[in-house]
Amino acid sequence: MFKLNIRIALRSLLRNKPAALINITGLTIGLTACLMLLLYVTYERNFDRHDARTTRVYGVMTNVPDGKGGITATFDGTTTALAPMLRQSLPALEAVCRLSYGSIRLIASGEHAFKKEARFAEPEIFQMYGYRFLSGDSTTALADPHSVVLTASMAKTLFGRLDVTGSRLRYQDQYDLKVTAVIEDLPLNSSNRFDYLMPWLFYETVDPSAKELNWTNYSFITLLKLKPGIAPETVNKSLVTLLKSSGSDSEQPHFIFPLQRLHLYGKFEQGRSVGGDIEQVRLFTALALGILLLACINFMNLATARAGRRAREVGVKKTLGADRRSLVFQFLTESMVLCLISVALAVALAELLIPAFNSLLRVQLNVGYFNGTTWLALLAIVLFTGILAGSYPAFYLSSFNVIGSLKRNAPLRRFLPFSMRQVLVVVQFCFAVSLIVATLVIYKQISYIKNRPLGVEVQALVEMPLEGNLKTRFELFKKRLLASGAVSAMYQSSVKLAHHSSNFTDIRWPGMQAAVNRVMFNKVGTGYDFIKTNGIKMLAGRDFSPALPTDSGGVLLSARAAKIMGLKDPLGKVIQVMGERRTVIGVFADYVWDEPAKTNNPMVVQMEPLRGGSMTMRLNTAHSLEDNIAAISKIAREMNPAYPVELSFMNQVYAGKLESERLLGLLSRIFGGLAILISCLGLYGLVSFSAEQRTREFGVRRVLGATLLNIMQLLSAAFLKLIAVALVIAVPLSCALMNTWLQGFEFHTSVSFWTIAVATLLTLALALVTIGLQAVQAARANPVDALKYE
Amino acid sequence: MIELNNIEKYHPAKGIKHYVLRHVSASIASGEFVSVMGPSGAGKSTLLNILGMLEEPTYGTYHFMGEDITSMNERKRIELYRNHIGFVFQAYHLIDEMTVQENIEAPLIYKKIVASERKSRVADLLDRFNMVAKKDLFPSQLSGGQQQLVGIARALVAEPSLILADEPTGNLQSAQAAEIMSLFRKLNREEGITIVQVTHSEKNAQYGNRILTIEDGVVRTDTPVAGQL
Repeated sequence: MFKLNIRIALRSLLRNKPAALINITGLTIGLTACLMLLLYVTYERNFDRHDARTTRVYGVMTNVPDGKGGITATFDGTTTALAPMLRQSLPALEAVCRLSYGSIRLIASGEHAFKKEARFAEPEIFQMYGYRFLSGDSTTALADPHSVVLTASMAKTLFGRLDVTGSRLRYQDQYDLKVTAVIEDLPLNSSNRFDYLMPWLFYETVDPSAKELNWTNYSFITLLKLKPGIAPETVNKSLVTLLKSSGSDSEQPHFIFPLQRLHLYGKFEQGRSVGGDIEQVRLFTALALGILLLACINFMNLATARAGRRAREVGVKKTLGADRRSLVFQFLTESMVLCLISVALAVALAELLIPAFNSLLRVQLNVGYFNGTTWLALLAIVLFTGILAGSYPAFYLSSFNVIGSLKRNAPLRRFLPFSMRQVLVVVQFCFAVSLIVATLVIYKQISYIKNRPLGVEVQALVEMPLEGNLKTRFELFKKRLLASGAVSAMYQSSVKLAHHSSNFTDIRWPGMQAAVNRVMFNKVGTGYDFIKTNGIKMLAGRDFSPALPTDSGGVLLSARAAKIMGLKDPLGKVIQVMGERRTVIGVFADYVWDEPAKTNNPMVVQMEPLRGGSMTMRLNTAHSLEDNIAAISKIAREMNPAYPVELSFMNQVYAGKLESERLLGLLSRIFGGLAILISCLGLYGLVSFSAEQRTREFGVRRVLGATLLNIMQLLSAAFLKLIAVALVIAVPLSCALMNTWLQGFEFHTSVSFWTIAVATLLTLALALVTIGLQAVQAARANPVDALKYE
Repeated sequence: MIELNNIEKYHPAKGIKHYVLRHVSASIASGEFVSVMGPSGAGKSTLLNILGMLEEPTYGTYHFMGEDITSMNERKRIELYRNHIGFVFQAYHLIDEMTVQENIEAPLIYKKIVASERKSRVADLLDRFNMVAKKDLFPSQLSGGQQQLVGIARALVAEPSLILADEPTGNLQSAQAAEIMSLFRKLNREEGITIVQVTHSEKNAQYGNRILTIEDGVVRTDTPVAGQL
């Protein structure tokens, strides 16, 4: 019986090719989306869950107070002094580990030099993460200050082989290190990744700020591992009392957060987790399931629309002794067969799309073909889809009573009263319309942010890391570049123009009300020509000048900083930045850095001795871009041969800041397109069925003198009404939804009349084309053929 | 075998009872071949549907093989279809997606008969109806007469005691019709299968041994066939 059912299902697919095509296309798209989703969710959910020992690991988080009792931000940076204190006084901890943020640094094996992600950590890191050692072991790997641990692919890159323990490497063209261990590559879905890992002891030699135990510099990560059975709340409580009693002047309240949750739930508001990447997971889940649902609706609608034909079959089978259960089973088999065909196609399609998907979402997914869970999940999807798509038609069709269905030409129902089918079409188009509105609004918001004045003349501006020999020979480098004519102005700074990591609170100004400042300020340490190179507008005062030696003790304020300080006439006022007295010599207009849709922290810019960081150059527009780049590269290579030349264009850097919005826009475009495609396919199927069913009626009408247009109207009206209903429901709903989304941006556009008009017209146009195609065909058919039929 | 007692059937239409059958009482014994005749709209088909339990009478009682059908549940009724009743339709009602062989086999599947026995019974019928060569064809590839043969084979395969035929030759040419009717007579005489057919044709009625004439929902005459063909 089962085999026969499958045979019959296949034959009936072949018999109704258009319907089969519509169903398979829709289900394949829906299932592909679901498959990708499955892989993506598995990937995200397994973040930092590769090893059991990570379950008890917590990251120490820092709240940034806003000075009014609230919290402006929460991040995972901590001071150097925290970890040693915790290690000493909290017995509930099994291990404490200080870790640096990853940064791209030069590492060389003889002639082969590469810039790869480096980190420094205390040896306790091996108790936190379950790294698998290919050679060496966790007790000795970071014991010697001049040791380095490589990942397998790093070892391959440097040496071309894995057995490299004991080999020598040169770090930043300055220090000699010995490879003590090689570990397996870290999975992409793990936090705190690196290509090579060096001991904290070595970090203290490289960077003095890591050595000095202080409570003000929040530039280091602290990880804790709790003893089994210890609740994180108790640790949080003792953390607060400990910080108070220790007499540290740290004002930032700390708390601990599970490392495994940090990736998905790492967005904080007022010191509480309010989501994070989980939002992206949820959004994608909703979209993928939505698309699958649309495809299932197509299946249901086409199946019930054809009910008239199937009814006879049901009637006959009932007289042959079929009970309802066997009929339900038969119809479900049909939808299962369709699902299986679609899922096979979907697996193939997913395999094709995964590379694009990976580069789009910056993840590393692959179909684990030989993984039992994957197969089970796949089976579950097929069953779920088959039942979802097949159950309504199955129960609907099998419920026909025999006599009604066997009477010839007995109309089962008038086509399209207010039926389930209509509701489903409305649901489909609601979904599609909402996605169109979302796409338009996201696009509008992105262009709004893009067109917001940056405050920096970003064209012809490039930046380059300041490292190696250039750190000591910057002035010569600058002189040579200016002389070559490739660059018209340039400066060096401690941080990059578009991202400032150096946040601090230790600042005082004349007339300050509070005893201690709680507002997070940002500091840029630089040399001359900061304003000139960037093309930033000065509101008062002037840039640093080499002609005035006192300027080395001067400071520039951003407009926002001046406003927060409440200085009426800031020029000439003396403020204290991290204990140093500095005279305000200028105020410049705020410019965009970090998040382009947010007001940034107030900023101070001051002269600082050269310590490495970044160089920003304004290219000379009198020469071609290629010539300029070639000239810069040539001089850089000559002066700093150990390092590759890495130039980034600031306009690209700024464009990259809209990455997550761009991604959202792309996702909504893709899914919106798919939704409208599937919905229109379904609509096409329904219209063609309706046309077929009414062939005779149309024939009679034609004979009675109806025009083509009359017939088309007749056929289209019912469907267009449904689209109109969908528009009326979906447009206000999605507009409200997108408005809420926009409120999440400090600078945002609004949902305009045009957005609504475009979405409405687009949907109507697409629906009209779909219906029209079929209607023309039906209306043009020769009435004689129609009347001969039957 | 069949006892109809005071059967009434009406459709309520705008407050007026629209009668299809009135006070129909009849009894059909096992082994009879009854033809139901009468003008269009007389209620012949409704009567047949009631006999086949496809429709319920509004009033009256119907005993089939000593059991009261009117108070029977769905499950029991399906049991009866499976074991005792075969239907033959004017429009054949073969299942388009199934081959000849599968169409004939279908009732046996619902009856949960094992595959080997199914095969042998179907093969037997194909052989008897000279359709072995056509067993893998689909209904649309057969002529009307052939389709009706398949329809009859399908009705016979479950070895029913009663065959209900609603104008079985209505869509056929006279030569094919005669062939089908001879087959019915043969089944009736040689295998003792009770047959009730609805027909318009005086000639077809002569193949049976009793004629019920219905007019306006009432049985007018009930006469044995004198010189059976």
